[in-house]
Amino acid sequence: MRQISEMILRAHQYFTVLIILFSSSLGAQEYPDENFDEATGLEIMQEVHQRHQQFAFIYEEQSMVMIDRNGDRDTRRVKRYSRVEDDGTVKFLLLFESPDEIKGVALLASRDASGKTKKYIYLPAFGEQLIESMSSGLDGKFLGTDFSIESITGEVLDDYIYVRRADIKINETGCFVIDVYRREEGFSENMLATGKQAIRRHIIPKNNFYITKTEYFDKQGRVYKKQTHHDLRPVDGRMWRADMILMEDSKEQHSSLIKIDRRVFSRDYVSADIFTAAWLFKNHPFVSTPDIDDKEVHSEDEDTEGILNQQSNSSVNLEAGFAQ
Amino acid sequence: MMLKLFMLGLKRPVAVTLFMVMATLFAAAGIPKLEIDTGLDSLIPASDPNRLIYQQVMGEFGSDNKTIIYIRDNNLWTPEKLSIIEGLHHDIERIDNVTSVDSLFNLHTIHGEDGKIESIPVLSEAPTTVEEALAAKARALANPLYIGNYFSDSGNVLAMIVAVVDKEEDSDFSRRIYQQMETLISEKRGNFDKLIQVGPPRINAELKRRLFDDFRLLGPLSAFILFASILFFMRSGISAVIPIVTSFLSIIWTFGMLGWTGVPINILSAMLPSLIIVIGSTEDTHMMAAYFRGLESNVENSREKAIYYMAKHISLPLVLTVLTTALGFSSNILSGIGLIQHFAFAATFAMLANGIITILVVPLLLSVYGPEKNTSAVDDTESTRLPDIILRVFRYYQDNHPVSVLIFTTVMCGFFIYHASKLYVTNDPLSYIPSDSALIKDTKLIHDDLAGIKIFFIRLDSNKQNAFQRPENINKLVEIQRFMDKQGVFDQSISLADHLAFANREFRGEYAARVLPATRQLVAQYLMFFHRSDLDSYVSHDYSRANIVVRHNINDSHTLNAYIDELQEVVKDIAGAGFKVNIVSKNLMVNDAAESLMVAQIKALALLLALIFIIMSVMFTSFRGGAIALVPAVIPIAMMFGVMGYLNIPLNPGTAMVAVIGIGIAVDGTVHLLARYNELCRHTSDYIGAVNTAVKEEATPLIISGIALSFGFGILLLSNFTVIAQFGALAAITMLFSIYANLLITPIIMTRVRLIGLHQIIGMTIDKKVLEESPLFKNMTNYQRRKAVLISELSEFEEGDLLVEQGTIGRDMYLILSGEAEVIRHDGCESRTLATLLPGTIFGEIGYIRETERTADVKALTKISALRFDYERMQKDLKFFPNIVAKLNFNISYILGERLADMVSQSKGD
Repeated sequence: MRQISEMILRAHQYFTVLIILFSSSLGAQEYPDENFDEATGLEIMQEVHQRHQQFAFIYEEQSMVMIDRNGDRDTRRVKRYSRVEDDGTVKFLLLFESPDEIKGVALLASRDASGKTKKYIYLPAFGEQLIESMSSGLDGKFLGTDFSIESITGEVLDDYIYVRRADIKINETGCFVIDVYRREEGFSENMLATGKQAIRRHIIPKNNFYITKTEYFDKQGRVYKKQTHHDLRPVDGRMWRADMILMEDSKEQHSSLIKIDRRVFSRDYVSADIFTAAWLFKNHPFVSTPDIDDKEVHSEDEDTEGILNQQSNSSVNLEAGFAQ
Repeated sequence: MMLKLFMLGLKRPVAVTLFMVMATLFAAAGIPKLEIDTGLDSLIPASDPNRLIYQQVMGEFGSDNKTIIYIRDNNLWTPEKLSIIEGLHHDIERIDNVTSVDSLFNLHTIHGEDGKIESIPVLSEAPTTVEEALAAKARALANPLYIGNYFSDSGNVLAMIVAVVDKEEDSDFSRRIYQQMETLISEKRGNFDKLIQVGPPRINAELKRRLFDDFRLLGPLSAFILFASILFFMRSGISAVIPIVTSFLSIIWTFGMLGWTGVPINILSAMLPSLIIVIGSTEDTHMMAAYFRGLESNVENSREKAIYYMAKHISLPLVLTVLTTALGFSSNILSGIGLIQHFAFAATFAMLANGIITILVVPLLLSVYGPEKNTSAVDDTESTRLPDIILRVFRYYQDNHPVSVLIFTTVMCGFFIYHASKLYVTNDPLSYIPSDSALIKDTKLIHDDLAGIKIFFIRLDSNKQNAFQRPENINKLVEIQRFMDKQGVFDQSISLADHLAFANREFRGEYAARVLPATRQLVAQYLMFFHRSDLDSYVSHDYSRANIVVRHNINDSHTLNAYIDELQEVVKDIAGAGFKVNIVSKNLMVNDAAESLMVAQIKALALLLALIFIIMSVMFTSFRGGAIALVPAVIPIAMMFGVMGYLNIPLNPGTAMVAVIGIGIAVDGTVHLLARYNELCRHTSDYIGAVNTAVKEEATPLIISGIALSFGFGILLLSNFTVIAQFGALAAITMLFSIYANLLITPIIMTRVRLIGLHQIIGMTIDKKVLEESPLFKNMTNYQRRKAVLISELSEFEEGDLLVEQGTIGRDMYLILSGEAEVIRHDGCESRTLATLLPGTIFGEIGYIRETERTADVKALTKISALRFDYERMQKDLKFFPNIVAKLNFNISYILGERLADMVSQSKGD
């Protein structure tokens, strides 16, 4: 446990808003132990970071449901591995398990202590080679979802400026409102006064310091995307996790839902060799022959219905591997 | 009954005035409720089975209702210009009911290079440097899916595609959206070489603008031309004013009715005022001509008598012509195309309303303002007037070369029918607008630099999930697209296959640009790099259905339908048995409706001709009458179709109406001619003379109304709509053809027939008892008796007149209907009265049978009304009315036999 905490500290200059991990519930348990009435946006975000810090070894089984403008749904099952190395490098692997035709597709990402991020994509049907992903924009769409790669690997606090706005109340719960600005060359605080548009806004309930909602703005200040967090549960003291994250793109009338089916905090589940090309090639080799069988394809809608109807307490036992 | 109706204006002026005022005020109150429909839905038959499929496809693959904003500039890819475009993009996004704006600012692309891949926006926001702008240009032009859709090959043109949610219930919606976008565009227009918008809102707004321009121009101009031409030909101010008054009232009634009933006005309605003015005026012209003849026929120049004369002579033909004209318009209701149906409904009502208004108002106006002496040129004997000149030329050919005229006409009809076989149909809304208009030029510009603005979808439905993740099925899309490339008429087609080929190129390099992924897995894995919205238009979410989006700029339904039919066959072949295939779009349905236009045209023509044949056969109690009425109606139409074929004028919603309307109007002249001829035949046995007189009397109103109609329809050439201009030109020509047919062909045929009007039979006021008791009509039904009476010649004699003169040779037989006469025999200086003849008595039967000297005088003791049966005439009529004449001859034989028997018994007694 101590070792884990040290590793976390080495990565302390970054705060990764693990969007797919965080969730909140406005009626959740409160910890009113500090006074943040005069805190700045950055201080609040640092507190968020401190409370809900990244755990070093996480394995998750997720279901991704994508809902288009007609209400039609596509479901994918995904395994997610994350690991913080001794040198502060954070590694991620997102591995698609189903449907069958995309099994083995993977996103392999790593961010070193200096913040440099590398992302690779593996397509088993393309060949046994990693393809470097050059995509970097936060507004990008990752592998057909409404999430960007960055929203999966995380938000680096040093890359942004956080400006606290007037607090609001939601369902009688006080919330911080933090506007997020990109830290660009030549950026100054004065620009905020001249009406520069924030790129997104976090809503953080004061009672648990979880980001419950993030609104994404276009240049005109209109919300075009909205991320909300559901099925929040405390996992360790003041640390909370979300079991369901919804990203809604109002412009494209498309939304993506991530449901955490299983979560394990354990070194054993995320061994270092998993984050290598060799492991991927071995476990998901190149599919070279044309698929000519005409087998009935399993209906994804049935899966989706199941996921959407699952009770939120289903993940309680799945967290048995959490390293206390 | 009819006569009473026509006399209402004279007899009950206050009541008629009150009714007219009330009805007109009521109608006028409906005008503000008028709805305008310039949408494309009215061009598609409601019964089109493709509607449902179209809605399904649109629901699944997105709307085809999109506006393209075209931006061209030689220095387009600079931070300044791109910043302006970005502003425009966001400004347009803010317009209510704009659902999406697609431009380089929200397009995504895949870029592969040196084993690296990225899925990125073409340009997320306006660049700050030229380098960034040029990099965005490179990204944009590298994506073949966007070339032709969003960017020109050279990159100096880019397009913004705006989707708007359609508010069909708001008739002003399209115009408002167009105006809002146009306001934003015009603010920025100066910054670019060219900045325009083309799409349904602009087309709709343009159609509406042109509709109002037409209303403003055509109605008043038609009224002026009508006024001027009637004034010129008839030289009577009141004759020119009256049609304007009745037309004006008819227009109010018609548009008021449309407002009250909710039937919308559409682009064809632009010609309604002109049609009402022009067609409605023909009846007024005939009435005025009859009024002037009435003035001529009464010595005291009494208005009342002239109106009575007019009513008596014009009532039946007027009602008939109103009916046939209304029938002509109403037959278009069969079309099934809302645009034509709505117009047909409005025009039919207009014609009927105009008939009622004319019948009520003309006598009323004449009773107050009618001239008291014939100041018009109707019966002018001056031979230099145009109608007289035309008539003289026609008379010459009728008298001297009747057979040649008929042969010439037949050959002409053959020639025109041959050209009519080249007739083709079109229903494309853009073809309604002149090709030199800014809209059509802009459409062509977009077609030249990008791809046509018209879209259709080819949907393949496998009914199996993930079918279109299989390479063999995706390959079917490629084959279909290759076939379209061979057809060479469509600008661009994009499918799922193009997306996959593009992805393959970016992952593998240029050599794979036209190669599809080989496995289902690779297809699925490539597709992960596209966002669902990128694929929405091309494949269903479960990959069971694929869609090829095709853009084109074909404005001619005939050509488009031919290519679509060909494509349909090939697509079915390529797709194979396991796939359902649909080729749909609103534009295709509109164009496809052109075929139903042709079918509807044939149906409408057949129905109208059948109805006219039946009505005329009944009215003239003879199928010959029905057939004769059709001849002058059919000839102009055959010629009109020939002109269309010869001049390559398509059958479209405008020109499709010319035939039925033309028949409806052309038959009017025939009805007037036949009615007058029939009336004249009652008083003469010189049928040729009767034809000449009928033609002479009817020629002036017929030629004047024909020429006025031609001018009136010709005015429509100034319409802002090609379809209306074509309608006007063809209708004008048809009217001239109808003058030729009515005044040259009809008289030649008329001399060969003898008709009896049903109204005459029914309306005959002869003492029934006289007919029943007369041995001449023994064993005949009442109908046959009446018809027999009408075959004969009605003669009137004053007291003291000699009906028969002793010693003369005559072959007439008389039946006294009323009055008394005495038979006086002169022997030297001595005269003696042999008998007094009472109503029902027959005399002169010996002379009728055998040419011999009259043996006594028959002198009228009182005013006498008698039927004269002329031997020669009866022999002629034998072929026209064989049953009646045979019965008459039999009865005459019986009468003679009785006489002979009497004489024998008398001599025996002596």
